[in-house]
Amino acid sequence: MKLADIENGATLPTLDIDITARLIVGGAIASRDYQDVHHDKAAAQALGSPDIFMNILTTNGLVGRYVTDWAGPEARLAGVNIRLGAPNFPGDRMTFSGKVNSVDAGSGEVEVAISGRNQLGDHVTGTVILKFC
Amino acid sequence: MSAPDFADYVGGDFGPFLAWDEVNAPMIRHWCEAMGDSNPIYTDAEAARAAGYSDIVAPPTMMMAWTMNGYGGKRPPGSGEGNALAVLSVMSEAGYPAVVAVNCEQEYERYLEVGDRVYFRATCEAISEEKTTALGTGFFVTELSTFYNQRDEVVGRQRFRVLQYRPAER
Repeated sequence: MKLADIENGATLPTLDIDITARLIVGGAIASRDYQDVHHDKAAAQALGSPDIFMNILTTNGLVGRYVTDWAGPEARLAGVNIRLGAPNFPGDRMTFSGKVNSVDAGSGEVEVAISGRNQLGDHVTGTVILKFC
Repeated sequence: MSAPDFADYVGGDFGPFLAWDEVNAPMIRHWCEAMGDSNPIYTDAEAARAAGYSDIVAPPTMMMAWTMNGYGGKRPPGSGEGNALAVLSVMSEAGYPAVVAVNCEQEYERYLEVGDRVYFRATCEAISEEKTTALGTGFFVTELSTFYNQRDEVVGRQRFRVLQYRPAER
């Protein structure tokens, strides 16, 4: 996608992510996060959580992927700002949606508002800044 | 009773906190597999060059991953001591024992390429006044981490905000 193809207010196609123990553990290890609440169900339950839950770096990675899946390899990620909400537990499904907040033809900067919603509510909301050179 | 004052903990300069490994294609590929990210600039040098880079680049959202302690729980040799969020354990002992991550803002100045070496420095950027939220009463604490490459150029910044709190009685 090129900057000229992006219209202010356009919506991104939604993306469903099945939240599995495999994804939570795989994301935690890929991000080198060995906190036990991200791989050990008994340890997570001892802290009052019903199950293991996704770490923040995986959420960040998925948000970046969601927006660049849409924008393509010519878009550079310049910022990812996320607010954290309901945890992602195994067995849930998170649906990403997004909308273009602004397009600055001069600087090549595009701001996209995103949310990732699961059955508990918003897991993540925020904005992603893209830059086209 | 007035709320305790933790303002003395704002500031500081901790680091450098080094990365165990240089930016490398296998760790990038593992990340992309887990995230389901098929952007070719992360795995295919030709696609990366076509997009204006000189080699495979890392997903910018991996920035923090390079400097994580990992399985051994230790920082690489040469890393600094201390922790910009030491105030959290002080708050915990002062009657605010719970913590929750609130938000994370990352800005990226340049993409990391294979072979780059990352480190970061951290500071406690802000501590809010005592606030009462649905979770309880406590303080928002912001850690600012600035990431650099082997040429000491800024790679990006991360603001990580937590709420350290005394849970509301139910």
